[in-house]
Amino acid sequence: MHTRKRRRLGAKIAVFTGLCLGAAFAGLPVLWMLSTSFKANGEVFQVPPRLVTENFSLEAYRSILGDPDKLRFFVNSYVVALSVTALTLFVAILAAYGFSRYEFPLKRSVNAVIISVQAVPPITLVIPYFGLVVALGLYNTYPGLILTHIVFTLPYAIIMMTAYFNTLPKELDESVKVDGASSWTALWRVLVPISVPGMIAVGVYTFMISWNEYLFALTLTRTDNMRTVPIGIQLLMGQHSYEWNQMMAMSILGSIPVLVLFLLFQRRFIGGLTSGAVKA
Amino acid sequence: MKLANLNPTAAPPDTKVASQTPAAAGSGKLRFFARGLVPYAYLSPTVILISVLMIVPIAMVVSYSFKDNVIVEENPVLVGLANYTKVLTDPDFLVALKNTFVFITVSTVAHLVLGLTFALMLNTSLLGGVTKAVFRIIYILPWLFTVAVIAVIWRLLLDPSGVVNYLLTTVGRMQQGVDWLSDPGTALWALTFVNIWAGFPFFMISILAGLQGISSDLYEAASVDGAGAVRQFLNVTIPQLRPVLVSMAVLDLIWTSQQFALIWMTTGGGPLNATEMLSTYTYKQAFSSYEFATASASAVIVLLLSLVLAFFYVRLQKER
Amino acid sequence: MSGSGTRVRNRLRQLIGVTAVTAMAATAVACGSDGGSNEESSSGGTVTLEFAQWWAPELPEGSFDKLMTEFTAQNPNIKVKLLSGPYASTKQQLVAGAASKTLPDVVGLDGAWVSDFAKQGAIADLTELMADAKYDSGQLASQIKIKDKTYMVPVVNFVYPLFVNNDLLKKAGVTTPPTTRTQFLEAAKKVSALGGNVKGWALPLDTAVPNGVQNDVMSWLWASGGSMLTEDGKANLTSDQVKGTVEFVKSLNDANVIAPGSLTMKEQDKVEKFTTGQVGMVIDSLAHITLIKKNNPKLNFTVTPIPAEDSYTGKRGIPYASWGIGVSNSSKHKAEAFKLVEFLMSKQTNAQLSTLANGFPGNKTATPDFTKSDPLFKTAFGIYQAGYPANEFVGLPKSEDLMRSFDEQLQLTLTGKQSVDDTLKKAQESWSSDLS
Repeated sequence: MHTRKRRRLGAKIAVFTGLCLGAAFAGLPVLWMLSTSFKANGEVFQVPPRLVTENFSLEAYRSILGDPDKLRFFVNSYVVALSVTALTLFVAILAAYGFSRYEFPLKRSVNAVIISVQAVPPITLVIPYFGLVVALGLYNTYPGLILTHIVFTLPYAIIMMTAYFNTLPKELDESVKVDGASSWTALWRVLVPISVPGMIAVGVYTFMISWNEYLFALTLTRTDNMRTVPIGIQLLMGQHSYEWNQMMAMSILGSIPVLVLFLLFQRRFIGGLTSGAVKA
Repeated sequence: MKLANLNPTAAPPDTKVASQTPAAAGSGKLRFFARGLVPYAYLSPTVILISVLMIVPIAMVVSYSFKDNVIVEENPVLVGLANYTKVLTDPDFLVALKNTFVFITVSTVAHLVLGLTFALMLNTSLLGGVTKAVFRIIYILPWLFTVAVIAVIWRLLLDPSGVVNYLLTTVGRMQQGVDWLSDPGTALWALTFVNIWAGFPFFMISILAGLQGISSDLYEAASVDGAGAVRQFLNVTIPQLRPVLVSMAVLDLIWTSQQFALIWMTTGGGPLNATEMLSTYTYKQAFSSYEFATASASAVIVLLLSLVLAFFYVRLQKER
Repeated sequence: MSGSGTRVRNRLRQLIGVTAVTAMAATAVACGSDGGSNEESSSGGTVTLEFAQWWAPELPEGSFDKLMTEFTAQNPNIKVKLLSGPYASTKQQLVAGAASKTLPDVVGLDGAWVSDFAKQGAIADLTELMADAKYDSGQLASQIKIKDKTYMVPVVNFVYPLFVNNDLLKKAGVTTPPTTRTQFLEAAKKVSALGGNVKGWALPLDTAVPNGVQNDVMSWLWASGGSMLTEDGKANLTSDQVKGTVEFVKSLNDANVIAPGSLTMKEQDKVEKFTTGQVGMVIDSLAHITLIKKNNPKLNFTVTPIPAEDSYTGKRGIPYASWGIGVSNSSKHKAEAFKLVEFLMSKQTNAQLSTLANGFPGNKTATPDFTKSDPLFKTAFGIYQAGYPANEFVGLPKSEDLMRSFDEQLQLTLTGKQSVDDTLKKAQESWSSDLS
C-alpha cells in the first residue's frame, strides 16, 4: 500500500510538472504582452529585457479608455459579435432541427454544401464579396459585417447543433406533437430549453470567431465608427511606428470579454461540446 | 453518453408515420405536401444566406478565372484555361503549394499531439478541481487573441534581439541568437510554431470534452481485466476518441490552409519565398500585381484542394 | 383525439412561421441597405466629400480635423468626412473600392500606386480639373503624370536622409559622419565592432511591404546620380551603377555590419532599432524625428546626406515619399473635390500641414515654419535644397511588384545563393515584362 501511495504521489508530481511546462508554453507570451502594455514605448526592446521596468505605468490603458474613438471600437465589436451570436444560434437551431428530425430528398446534398462552404478560403472571396456587399448597400454598416460573419460561423454551428439535437431522444418532441402541438412549438418549448449547454458551446465559439475576425472587418468597413477591435489594434501600427504599449493594452482589453465569457461558461461550454459537437 | 454515434444527417428513425386513420385520407395529399416542405422551411434561412453570400461570390471568382484583365479593365476577354496554365507552371506557386502542405500537416499533427496531451493532463483525477480550472484558463489564453495581435507579439518575441534569443543566449548556452523569422532555414518552422501556439486550445477543449464523455464503466471494465494506464489509453481512450480526433484533424487541415493574416503580418511570405503559402501567393497576385484573373485561378485551385478535404470529411461522417 | 386536420393546420402554421422568419431576415437586409448607403448624397445644397487617407492618424491628434473645419469655414457648402485607415491597408481598400466604383471622392495616394489606379480609370485626370477651376499649377513643386496627364499632386514630401547616432559613432572612434561609400563601410564596421547587439546599418527587406528596395537600396544609387531606368523609362538594371550599388550592399552584408533579421524586417522595425541604439546609421524618413525623440529623448543623433560613390561630385538625389492627393473618377462632386485639393495646396495650409507632419511642402511658395520644429529639420531642408528629390518608382506601373521582384532577387544574393550579375539579370527580365 505504501508504494502505491508513493507511486500516486509520483504521478501527481509528474502531471503537475507537465501542466506547468504546458502553461509556460501557453502563458508566457501572454505574460510578455501584459508586461509590454505597462512599459513606455522606448523600453520595449530594452536589453536586457525586463518584465517590469522602472517606468511602470497605466498610461496606455488610460489613453485607450479615455478616448471615445477607441472605445467606439469596443462598442462596435460588442454590437457585431452579439448580433452574430444571436442570429447564428437562431438560424443554426432551425437548420439543425431540420437535419436532425427530418428525412428529405436533398438532405445529403445540402449537408455536403454546408460542410464544403467551410473549405472556401476567405482570402479568395474578398474582391467579389466586396462588390456584393456594396451592391446590397451594406458596405460600412453593421448588417454587412454581421451577415458576413454569420456565413463563416454558421456551418460549424449547424454541425455542432445538429449533433447536439441528435443526442436528444426523439420521443421528447414527439410526445408534445402527439398532443397536437406543432413541430415549431416542440422545437422551442421542448428541445431548446434542454439544449442550453449545446447552445452555450455554439454561442461561445461564434462570439470568439466574430470578435476576433480581421480580414473582412477590415475590408468591409471604412470609417472608425464601424470598425471593430482587431482593426483598432492595427490602426495603432502606423506607417512609421508601432505604439507597442497601446497595442498590447488594447489586446488585453479586447480579450477580457472573451475571457469572462469563458470563465462564466467553461463548464457548460465543455459540457456542450461533450454531448454534441465533438461527434460532428 | 456514448460517443459511438453519429452522422448528424442520420435522423433517429421516425416512429410516427404509421398512425394514419381513414379519416385523414381526404387531406392526405395536402398533408403530404406540407409535410414534405417543412424541413426545407427550417433550412431556408441557412440556404438563402449561404447561396447569396457564398455561392454567388464563388461563382464570380470562377468566372474571373477564365478571363483576362478582370476588374482592371472594363471589358475583360475570355481566355479559357490560360490563367490556370500560368498559375500551375509558376514556380512560386509550386513552392507555395509545398510550403502550405508542410505548414498545415505539421500544424495539425502538433495540434493533435499537444491537444491530446494537454487534455489528458487536464482530465486527470490526480489534481483538484480548482487547480485544473486555473490551468484550463491559462491553456485557453492563446485562443483569446486576434491574429493581428498574435502576429505582433511573436514578431516582438522572435526578434533577433528579442526575449527568446536573449533567453537562449544567456540562460541557455547558445553562442548566437537565431534570426527566427528572417532566416530562410528557420522561418517556415518558426511560423508553424506560432500557428501551433495560436491554434491548439480549440483542439484541446474539444478533446477534453470528448474525454469527459467517455463512460467510466469502460475504464473500470478495462482495469478489471488488468489493463494498466498505457493499455487503458490505447484500448479505451484512443478508440473512443477516434471520431473526435479524425474530424477535428480534417477541420484543422481546412482551417489552417486558410490562414492568411498571421503569415502576412509576420513574414509576408519571405524570406526568399520560404513562407510563401497559397493564401499569400493569391493575395500578392491580386493586390500587388493587380492580376485578379490569375489570383482567381489560384483561388479556384485552392478551393478545389479544400473541397477534396471537405469531401473526405463528408465521407467520414457518412461512415459513422 | 387529435384529427389529422389539426395536424395539417399545424404543419401549415409552422411553415408560415418559418417563412415569416425568413422574410423578416430578408427585410432586415433591405432595411440595412436603406440606412447605410445614402449618407453621402447632398442635402440642401451642401455637399459632403469623403476623403480617404492615412494621414490623420500620423499627425498630432485632432490637427487634421481642425484643418478640415477650416476648409468648411471657407467653403460653407462643402463638408468633409474623413475616412482614416492604417497605411498598410489603405491600398487594398482603394483597390477594392476602385473595383466596385465606390472610391471616396478624394483619396490620399502614394506615388507608387498612381499608375495602376490611373490605368484602371479609378482616379480622375487632374489636368482637366485644374483647367476647369482655372488653377495655376505653376505653384506646385511637382505633379505625378501618366501620359502627360496629372493624376496626383504631392501634398507633403518626406525626404530620406541618413540618420546617424552621434554617440555610437563617437564611441566607435568615428568623428565625422561618412560622406562616401567607403567611409560608410568603415564607419559601419567600427560601430559593429562595439559588440553587444549593436550593428552599423539596418536594411528592411520584408516582402509584404517591399518599400525597403526604394528607401534603403535604390537610394544609394540615386545619391550618386544614378538611374535604374533608361531615358525612355525602360528597365536598366544591368548598368554599372546599379551593379555597383548592389555590390556595395552585398559588401555591407559580407562584412556583417547589417542588423540581423533584415530579410523580414519592416520599416517600423528599422526605426525601432535606431531609436533604441541598436544600429548606428539608417536611411530614414524625416517624419520620424518627432517619433524617435518621443520614444528615446536621450538619443543624440543627426541627419546627413546619403553617402555617394567615392569619386562622385555632382548633385545628390535624395529619396522621398509623398502624401499625394487625387480625385476619384466616380465622384459626383469633382469640382468640390478639387476645391479641397486647392485648399490643401494653398500657400498657408500647405505650410501648416508640412510643419505638422515634419515634411516639405508640395507648394513651392510655402515655407515650413522652422521656429517651432526641430533644428534637425532645418538641417535636412538644407540637404534637400543642395540635392534633388529622386524616386524613380513614382508613377511606374505595378511599382510594388517591381520592388518585390527586385527584393526577392536581392535576398538570393545576400544569402549567397546567387551572384550579383545573375540577380540583376533576373530582375531585369522580370522588370522588362512590366515596363514594356
